[in-house]
Amino acid sequence: MRSNKGTWLLLSPGIIWITLFLVAPLIMMIYVSFWTQTTFSIKPDMTVVSWVNFFSSDTYFGALLRTIRIWFTVLMVTILVGFPVALYIGQFIKNKTLQTALLVTCVIPFWTSFLIRVLAWRPMLGKEGAINILLQKMGIINAPIEVLLYTELSVIIGMVQIYVVFMVGPIAFMIGRIDGSLIEGARDLGASTWTIFRRIILPLSMPGVIVGAIFVTVMVLGEFATASALSGRKVNLLGNIIITQVGSLKWAFAAVAGVVLTVVMATFVAIMLRIVNLRNQL
Amino acid sequence: MDKVVSLRWFLGIFTAAFVLFLYGPFIVMGILSFQQGPEGGPQFPIIEWSTYWYQHVFGLAPPSRIAPLPIGEALIRSLTLAFATMVVSTVMGVLTAQAFRQPFRGSGVVFYSVILGMIVPGVLLGLGMVLLANQVGIDRNWWSTAFVLHVVYTYPFAFLVMLAIFNRFDESVEEASLSLGVSPAKTFRKVTFPIIFPGVLSAMLFAFTLSYDEFPRTLFTGGSDVTMPIAIYGTFAVEIHPNLFAFGVLSTLFSFSLLAVYGILLTLSIRRQNQRASGLQEDIT
Amino acid sequence: MLEVKAVSKNFSGVPAVEDVSFTVNENEYVTLLGSSGSGKSVLLRLIAGLLTPDEGDVFLNGTPITDLPCHERRIGFVQQKYALFPHLNVYDNIAFGLRHRVIDPVKDESIIRKKVQNTIELVGLVGQETKMTGQISGGQKQRVSLARTLVTEPKICLLDEPLGALDANLRERMTIELQNIRRELGVSFMHVTGNEFEALAMGQNMLVMSDGRIVQQGAPQDMYARPQDLITAKSMHNFNILSGDDLSAQLKAGTSDKLPATKLKDAHFCAIPMDKIDISDASAKTSGLSAEFLTSEFLGNKIIYFFKIENGDVCEVENHMSLRERRELKANATYQLHWKSKDILYYGENKQLLG
Repeated sequence: MRSNKGTWLLLSPGIIWITLFLVAPLIMMIYVSFWTQTTFSIKPDMTVVSWVNFFSSDTYFGALLRTIRIWFTVLMVTILVGFPVALYIGQFIKNKTLQTALLVTCVIPFWTSFLIRVLAWRPMLGKEGAINILLQKMGIINAPIEVLLYTELSVIIGMVQIYVVFMVGPIAFMIGRIDGSLIEGARDLGASTWTIFRRIILPLSMPGVIVGAIFVTVMVLGEFATASALSGRKVNLLGNIIITQVGSLKWAFAAVAGVVLTVVMATFVAIMLRIVNLRNQL
Repeated sequence: MDKVVSLRWFLGIFTAAFVLFLYGPFIVMGILSFQQGPEGGPQFPIIEWSTYWYQHVFGLAPPSRIAPLPIGEALIRSLTLAFATMVVSTVMGVLTAQAFRQPFRGSGVVFYSVILGMIVPGVLLGLGMVLLANQVGIDRNWWSTAFVLHVVYTYPFAFLVMLAIFNRFDESVEEASLSLGVSPAKTFRKVTFPIIFPGVLSAMLFAFTLSYDEFPRTLFTGGSDVTMPIAIYGTFAVEIHPNLFAFGVLSTLFSFSLLAVYGILLTLSIRRQNQRASGLQEDIT
Repeated sequence: MLEVKAVSKNFSGVPAVEDVSFTVNENEYVTLLGSSGSGKSVLLRLIAGLLTPDEGDVFLNGTPITDLPCHERRIGFVQQKYALFPHLNVYDNIAFGLRHRVIDPVKDESIIRKKVQNTIELVGLVGQETKMTGQISGGQKQRVSLARTLVTEPKICLLDEPLGALDANLRERMTIELQNIRRELGVSFMHVTGNEFEALAMGQNMLVMSDGRIVQQGAPQDMYARPQDLITAKSMHNFNILSGDDLSAQLKAGTSDKLPATKLKDAHFCAIPMDKIDISDASAKTSGLSAEFLTSEFLGNKIIYFFKIENGDVCEVENHMSLRERRELKANATYQLHWKSKDILYYGENKQLLG
């Protein structure tokens, strides 16, 4: 019906846009990471000095390790917190309207500015924050817990709250798709709740977990705002490094950090995509 | 069976706690936005309930040492940018999804390249764009370098929404139109588009909200005229005041009204069809 | 008028339509019979322009239209599952082609109204104009789909299993109506179906398609009485096909008079009309092909008996109530089947009718 030419004509605006404004900048980033950086200027003379500096510096290499550590912690916590919620929404709520309502409830916070959502944690976690006041009033603690704010913990709490929905959504979607008769059949055959979970629900919800993990990964690895808002600039992620380097016009160094971040992320996403085909999950 | 019941209870309570976790900061934010001003800070206890900070946001409060949020122009910029982004990325999303309805060589590469736009972290893309702009020698502005990145970011979302819509689309109605002698272009306008319209609306909603709230990409590429999120980010460095919370509450309300507009548009498009049907009836009888 | 010449179409190497040629004349009702997967729908889409043939050409009134896009061909196409426009009501569905077509669109709403109203009367949809397509029954959808095409006055109209989704009663009524509508408008219909009764009852000319090829074409009565091709014979569902190494032995046992020796020698298959077979008890003096009675199916005006013959094949005997009394047969008992030599059709190794 439609010629191949027509297909490419329809695709051309998108392809041109992506090539100019996505592929070209990324290639530029790799290119600039090999430029020669001096304190006040940058020259397009190829060198690996910035790379050597990055991996030999405790500050930067430490930031890389910290980024990976926080990303991994957030990823695990979002799975542990998100899975039971998704299971409840997907399997235990039979009413479709209620199911949708619950999912919408989870999404509503997204209509508030991301930055304000991050800032809202400050009066929550602070020394005189809501949690400390509540716990003290209930008599659970005597003195306020101080590690709640301006630590790695507060960054993790903030990130989990912001990104956990990206885990709940895909998992709930996959669990909701499981045919109820499959579970009933298994129960009739005498399978225990645990067996049903392990043999039916877990494998069938795996694509959801993976899609969710990809979402959380790409968002957390690119993060810097949560860290700067909730750590009092004490916790520096690779994202923060890029921001400060750009601020002091150290382009080559920022580019090195960017390429490293891209490699870490691409590796993880590529592994995940080997396990699940994103296109078939639509 | 008992095990299932207790599991149901456990998961129910867990989910309730989860919702509280999601909304807790909002509730606190909402309460603190009514803090007394200008002395009251962004923390408990509430000294006295007041709407001072709301007045402050709108510039109605008497001048004090706390600078008003630079919202006026930034807000208009953000809305303009979001609107332009919405239009461009929805049009491109529809076109690309339309192309994907037929299998073609290289579809996998194109698919993942488009998806890459939503996957690559904003900081990286922003950085790359700055480097590129420096190299080519163009100025950074919210309506140029930031705008193209906003589209790179929202276009995949629009594309995915439309792809899902087209997956459930019955092609035989288009074939019927063609065999009635209607050209492919007019078939798209008169048949395809009206049927996919609800999908287009949600793609637009996605693109608008994502762009409106976009910030890591805009941070490097937006130039000196700031958008709303950049203005808020600027307050991170200095002390924060409850006016930010008041603004948060207001912008949340704004988002909901946007959502309401979406709902109304959707209902209207359904009602218009029914009305056309009944209007004709009066005509004939 | 419509001429299809040596048309072929492959789908990634798998042939769907192979070297198909035929002609549809002006003001003619042609039926195309084929089982699912025979390539009949693909053929229809090739003619309509929704697919392009790999080889061959399609002509309309002598001009080649093979390279014309679908919307410039002026060939009507009524789809299998109606494919009504869900966002338009019945009236707008029917007026759609007139309003929006490329060639000669009608701008004057009063002319559109007149034409649509005429067609609505013709197909019997009066009073349904303002309903949305979701609010009408399957039969009415079928009519809208037909009206939508007919109102554009195509020279030829292709119908892809137009009655497939209707229930039996409606089907019968639509069979008659379709013929009346066509006669009134004087257009040619090409009706594709998988149902042999539909094909036989409606067509002035009939094509039988199998595995992408046209195996036979001709008048329905000839097709039914003397199918030239074994596939045609099978698709008529009116013949018992005998085959195998013991074919001549089976025939000798079952035929009550003399067999023609020459044909018997060349025959690889034989077709015997179901309603030309007699049943007698195993104890009867006349010889016959012994067969085990399995079950019977009562269809009102006729009854069908199912037998299993010695090589395991099932043999059906049709008994018209107006001709013979109903017989009660015992399940799993053995009976003898016999027929007359003149009723046998012989087919050679190439599955073509002999003599």
